[in-house]
Amino acid sequence: MDAAGNVAETFGLYWPNLIAQVILFFIVYLVLRNFAFKPIIAMLEERRRRIEEGQLNAEKIKQQLAEAQAKYEDILAKANAEAQRLIEEVKASGERLAEEKRQTATTEAQDIIRRTHEALTLERERTLAELKKEVGRLVVETTEKVTNKILTPQDHQTINEETARQIAA
Amino acid sequence: MQAQIFLAAAELTVQPSPLFPDLPNAAFFTNSFVFTIIIAILILVLVRRATRKMELVPNGGQNFIEALVEVLYTTFENIVGRHMITKVFPLIATLFIFICCSNWVGLIPGVGTIGWGKPGPGPWGLSEIHNPLFRPANADLNMTLGMALLFMIWWLVWTLSDVGIIGFFKENFAPKGSTKGLLALLLMPLFIFVGCIEILSILLRPVSLSLRLFGNIYAGETLLHTMTGLGLALPFPLNWITAVLFPLPFYFLELLVGILQALVFSALCGVYIRLSTHQSEEGTAH
Repeated sequence: MDAAGNVAETFGLYWPNLIAQVILFFIVYLVLRNFAFKPIIAMLEERRRRIEEGQLNAEKIKQQLAEAQAKYEDILAKANAEAQRLIEEVKASGERLAEEKRQTATTEAQDIIRRTHEALTLERERTLAELKKEVGRLVVETTEKVTNKILTPQDHQTINEETARQIAA
Repeated sequence: MQAQIFLAAAELTVQPSPLFPDLPNAAFFTNSFVFTIIIAILILVLVRRATRKMELVPNGGQNFIEALVEVLYTTFENIVGRHMITKVFPLIATLFIFICCSNWVGLIPGVGTIGWGKPGPGPWGLSEIHNPLFRPANADLNMTLGMALLFMIWWLVWTLSDVGIIGFFKENFAPKGSTKGLLALLLMPLFIFVGCIEILSILLRPVSLSLRLFGNIYAGETLLHTMTGLGLALPFPLNWITAVLFPLPFYFLELLVGILQALVFSALCGVYIRLSTHQSEEGTAH
């Protein structure tokens, strides 16, 4: 113990000095721990977290972009298909409508022709009847004048019938 | 002759000098204690200024302190291991920063060359300094031993909380490897002897830690003082020139020694923690 005491004395080792130095060092330690290391490590941790978060977000955005692109292409393809379908539908509908119109026009035209034909036939028959009547009368008059005799109603009928038959032939 | 104000040939004593030897209960107020106060204030002011308004995008002082902390954290994490780093980092980093700062600030001209002594030429000149105002903190064994003891107390607390008292004794005294049965029984005295040596080496750790740091810094200071006073007997201005030129290369050496010793001290502390707690960390890893 004496040797240790001598060594301590030689090096100026004294408890008060040692304790005073330790207290000073301890104060430095406490201040550094609370005001430097803790906030700095927290800040480094926060920065690391944010960088990781940023990278994660970037990855997520990239993924979302890819998904959006795929969705956009999908929608575009669907829209194209829909448009194509509508065009086809419109085309088919147009053709059907045109056909219907054509049919209607044809029917109407045929109807007009038929009605015209009927009217013409009626007119012709009416004209023919009048003609027969007029020709019969003229034949009767002519016959009366040529023969100088008054024809009987039976003669009239016979002449008219004969004339009508001749005209009809 | 004015130059000799700064060229006091001082021989650094092994002991720190009390600044007020006549005052009762002021023996602790030594020149190294004053220096420690200055270092403490310097560190605290710089760190406080750098971390007062911390921002996510750092600049200036905050940038420097953050870079330093990050480098130290990574370095000591590799030594201590991830398991213990969050617990031990503040102490080991404080040891490093404090030792490095006091070693480097101790190199500033004036430390050890301003003080009281034998009057010399010039109004403020001293031919010999008996009681320098400042003495590098680590050139005082009280400081280095104090730090080593403080660390060892923490080391014991961390070790026991990590492996437990039984685990601690088992680690030091129990048979190593796969030795079992009769062989283990026969080798038991040997393991107990080795354990005692191990305990002795643990007890001597604060001594080795403190003496290594003290020896290096004290030797460096002595070297610089010797080199400064080497040409003091030469006529003016040669004494002035030699006093600047001769120690100059050794200042660079001491700059290196300053950071190296800080690293050695703190890294050894980390290694001691690793040695006493790595078992449980390996266990966790498995």
